[in-house]
Amino acid sequence: MDVNQAKQEHLLALKVMRLTKPTLFTNLPVTCEERDLPGDLFTQLMREDPSTIKGAETLMLGEMLTLPQNFGNIFLGETFSSYISVHNDSNQVVKDILVKADLQTSSQRLNLSASNSAVAELKPECCIDDVIHHEVKEIGTHILVCAVSYTTQYGEKLYFRKFFKFQVLKPLDVKTKFYNAETDEVFLEAQIQNITTSPMFMEKVSLEPSMMYNVTELNTVICGDEGKSTFGKMSYLQPMDTRQYLYCLKPKPEYAEKAGVIKGVTVIGKLDIVWKTNLGERGRLQTSQLQRMAPGYGDIRLSLEMIPDTVNLEEPFDIICKVTNCSERTMDLVLEMCNTRSIHWCGVSGRQLGKLSPATFLSLPLTLLSSVQGLQSISGLRLTDTFLKRTYEYDDIAQVCVVCPYTSNES
Amino acid sequence: MDSEEASAQRPVTLDITVEDVNKVAPAPLETSSQTPSRDNDLPQEDSIDLGGEFGTPQEDSNATPSESLMDKLNDQMMESVMISDSPSNSEENDMAPIDSFLDGVVEEDTSGEKEGQCDTGQNATTIKVLVGGQQEGGSEDNVEEDTIKQADTQGHFMENISPSSDSQCPSDLKNEEPASQGTRGTSPKDEPVPVCTIFSHGSQPKSLVPDGFQPTLIKSPSFSMGGSGVNDDPVTPSKLTTPLVCQPSPSLSKFFTDNGQANPASDFFDSFTAPSSFISISNPNHSSSSSSISTTGGPLDSDPLTQTIVFATQPQPFHELQAVFSGNDDPFAKALSLSEVDRRHDAWLPSEETRKVLISVATLSYSPAYTETNRLTMPGLKFDNLQGDAVKDLMVRFLGEQAAMKRQVLTAISVEQSFTGLKQLITSKNWRAAVDLTGRLLTAHGQGYGKAGQPTSHTTDSLQLWFVRLALLTKLNLFQNAEMEFEPFGNLDHPDLYYEYYPTVYPGRRGSMVPFSMRLLHAELPQYLAKPHEAVDRLHNLKIVCLTILENLEKGLAEDGSMITLTQENRQASFKLWQSRLSRVMYSMANCLLLMKDYVLAVETYHSIIQYEPQQRVQLLSGIGRIFLQIGDIKTAETYFQDVEKACQMKGSQSTHTTCMLMNRAFVYLSQNNYAEAHASFTEVLKLDPKNPVANNNAAVCLLYLGRLKESLGQLEGLVQQDPALYLHESVLFNLTTMYELESSRSTQKKQALLEAVACREGDSFNTQCLKLV
Repeated sequence: MDVNQAKQEHLLALKVMRLTKPTLFTNLPVTCEERDLPGDLFTQLMREDPSTIKGAETLMLGEMLTLPQNFGNIFLGETFSSYISVHNDSNQVVKDILVKADLQTSSQRLNLSASNSAVAELKPECCIDDVIHHEVKEIGTHILVCAVSYTTQYGEKLYFRKFFKFQVLKPLDVKTKFYNAETDEVFLEAQIQNITTSPMFMEKVSLEPSMMYNVTELNTVICGDEGKSTFGKMSYLQPMDTRQYLYCLKPKPEYAEKAGVIKGVTVIGKLDIVWKTNLGERGRLQTSQLQRMAPGYGDIRLSLEMIPDTVNLEEPFDIICKVTNCSERTMDLVLEMCNTRSIHWCGVSGRQLGKLSPATFLSLPLTLLSSVQGLQSISGLRLTDTFLKRTYEYDDIAQVCVVCPYTSNES
Repeated sequence: MDSEEASAQRPVTLDITVEDVNKVAPAPLETSSQTPSRDNDLPQEDSIDLGGEFGTPQEDSNATPSESLMDKLNDQMMESVMISDSPSNSEENDMAPIDSFLDGVVEEDTSGEKEGQCDTGQNATTIKVLVGGQQEGGSEDNVEEDTIKQADTQGHFMENISPSSDSQCPSDLKNEEPASQGTRGTSPKDEPVPVCTIFSHGSQPKSLVPDGFQPTLIKSPSFSMGGSGVNDDPVTPSKLTTPLVCQPSPSLSKFFTDNGQANPASDFFDSFTAPSSFISISNPNHSSSSSSISTTGGPLDSDPLTQTIVFATQPQPFHELQAVFSGNDDPFAKALSLSEVDRRHDAWLPSEETRKVLISVATLSYSPAYTETNRLTMPGLKFDNLQGDAVKDLMVRFLGEQAAMKRQVLTAISVEQSFTGLKQLITSKNWRAAVDLTGRLLTAHGQGYGKAGQPTSHTTDSLQLWFVRLALLTKLNLFQNAEMEFEPFGNLDHPDLYYEYYPTVYPGRRGSMVPFSMRLLHAELPQYLAKPHEAVDRLHNLKIVCLTILENLEKGLAEDGSMITLTQENRQASFKLWQSRLSRVMYSMANCLLLMKDYVLAVETYHSIIQYEPQQRVQLLSGIGRIFLQIGDIKTAETYFQDVEKACQMKGSQSTHTTCMLMNRAFVYLSQNNYAEAHASFTEVLKLDPKNPVANNNAAVCLLYLGRLKESLGQLEGLVQQDPALYLHESVLFNLTTMYELESSRSTQKKQALLEAVACREGDSFNTQCLKLV
């Protein structure tokens, strides 16, 4: 039966069965009515069938548990459980039996046996049973190596091994994307795809932020007192389905570089995913550390601290800009304001802003108005560092909606 | 080109780092992995490589490696993230499980197994040794290839991540060959890789598993050669069990071919069911000349052969059947109420086109004989030699002819050739024989093998026979056969499937001749043939008809919308009937959705059944809970189970409800991997209901997961011996045989013992696959 048959002279037989979760038996309801030819025969047959639900025989999903029918698939992060049974097939007592179960992965060899002590003796028709569990941490070929050594009643020491090879597959495909907000917030979109062949219940998908960030999960909608999942009532993922999770990350002030700027590549954190499948078969995975390249701001960063979203046509409005010196040197800045077709700056252009030391910032209240309706882009700010004679241009800083305040009958 | 590939492999990190990392990455990989380090079993690797390993290349987003940083940031493409491993693995162990190098190791391992197997006495270090050998090969690699690697780093790297298993560099390969041969020169290369056979059971291709019979389209010879035998038999009435061969009688075809104008076909079929006329079947045990067919006045020639249409040995079943129709005390009142019952059950809403035909038939403007053939139903058997007994076949194979002789099951020829015989076969679970019998009876109706496509006529009985046949085929999982034979019926809406089409045969009777159960079966069938959407479509149509009829009843009309005043009593009865049919359709729909794994809709549909079947609330809510457990959503399942407990409390404590609650609790424990508690709960059920087969079986299954194989086996074996009626069920036997296989090398003997137990009790419909003997 086995490919690697133990030679017949072995007194012990080793059998291994993977213990995936049992399945619920489904029956196949075929019914008829009293007036039909079989009368109540079909109904009676179904009532007598032990696998049907009494009182609701037409309900397909029964309660009878059946043992796993084949090895199935095993995925990274799931637990490999297996029954190992050593049976004495002979009619003599066998002594000093040692059963060892090792799992050989492509990188290491793990001992999975519960105990490493030998069993003193095994009578005929008796078994040594062991259930091993191992959380699968690697993709690819795994080989379960079961070794049995024992002594016959004549003192002969015998030994045999069996190998069971299986492949560990990847269960999920995870893709991420970062969106940098105007503020220092970062939004992380994670697409998680179920690449197994069975539905998966996502029990937990969370972002464990690195020390530098605080995280807010944006996957629930607050309605009433409790949050409702954005994924609907049933949080399961069909094979090949993808789902997007969104997270908002805020840098902790103490970890931000001086003046609240984060530069270069930073570690954002990792996604922790826990899923369950048939009857609670559990799996857990973490992604590698997600890294994010903070947007470069050059020497001077200009960001907006305050801006109205809607303004009236041809009416001045105020904005507050924040100018941060991201360079390593002190700057002496001059502000120029250039009008565009729609945006008109109020006040004097060419104003001296004074000296700005490295990693400091200043707030800059400005006033402007728009002469054109609609969504207008604020552009035309120029900062010149008089030390190096370098001009920095800031266009498309933000957008405002410009509306006409007058009612239509007046116009 | 280099950087292009490189960036393609990088997950997450952006442009600049990508370039850096990839230029550097392969170098540490090479040094760390290829330098043989005897301390470690296998080389460690830099975690950077993992990204390459699992990252999904995004060609388009990385097509231009020189993109500016800002471009990169604005890029809308998603970046692929590799999954490092499970969280309990430490960060340092983040390493590629297999690159080309390690792939080689795995190959070695498998050949190592071969060696281990040939020489069982050898020490268990084979694999390690081989790994060492491989590492030597690797170090040679290192020396020879250092320069190549420098030049070709990116290319090599690319190959590492390619999904194909043999992603080795040609040079790697070259170097491995001699190395591996050096270490174990004699190990046979072509020996198969050892594979766990217990695991691979299910992978056996279905087609190779003999299931005891071959559904074929070949006509059974018994039908063509039986004529003379039949002629001889009737004169010996004592030989009841001698084969009564049913044959397609030439007289039947005469009904259809010789004179079409007098509507003889309906005359013939009339005789089957019309209460007044004598049964049109000759009794072979009586004198063969007393053919009742002649009494119908149909043109018959006097060939005795035609008169021995061996159909029923006794006419009682037909009388029984007539009893349904004809009254015993007050024929008139009975007939009236009968027509009420008929109308109620037969009501159906034909399609517009069919309705027109039926109206024109009623108004005599249209002769049914001239309906275009494509609007007619012309069924016929598509196969007729289904006979067979898989249990017996297995007995012959494993226990020998002698033992197999002992098995006695009813067959189509050993029972009355009538509805009684048919019921007998169904009750004794000889469904294959029952299918055969329906075939014989249908052949007598002129709808036998090869008759599909030939004009025929339908009666209530012929359609009931078809229903039974198709239902049994479905029960036997012979879905393809059922589908083939269903095909001539189309969508069950042809005019000749309505009573109105036969005004002379069924005067005044209206509605569908096709039983509702057959429509349901027709709708359900595609779901078993991987066409669940078609099933849902058909079920929706049934649902709409049910709803329309209920609506008609509410409006005070008859079921079909006609203006017939119904008594309150009749309306109530009709309403009840159609509501139960609607709920049955909903059940089928929910079951089908469950098969489709559309859990959202399935749960919704099951939930909606509660309003029609409030007494099934507990079962339905528990069922929904189990669906959630199947998906893995234990929390939601628990809320449903809480609802069940509330519903149970409201109804007061019934033992069935306590059982149900305990079962649900056990399933939750099971889903939490708490097999001990699950076992305790199942055992508690057994205290209340010691004969509960589900609890007994499930408790045994839990024992296995607890590592108590012998106890589990003992429990199941005991059950099967004590109460075979309950436990010779395929699920229980499947569990039992699985455990036999796990327990010892002598599972075949034990399975054979089971086969003997099965042979004494079970009919020919037993699914022998669960014995796992073949």
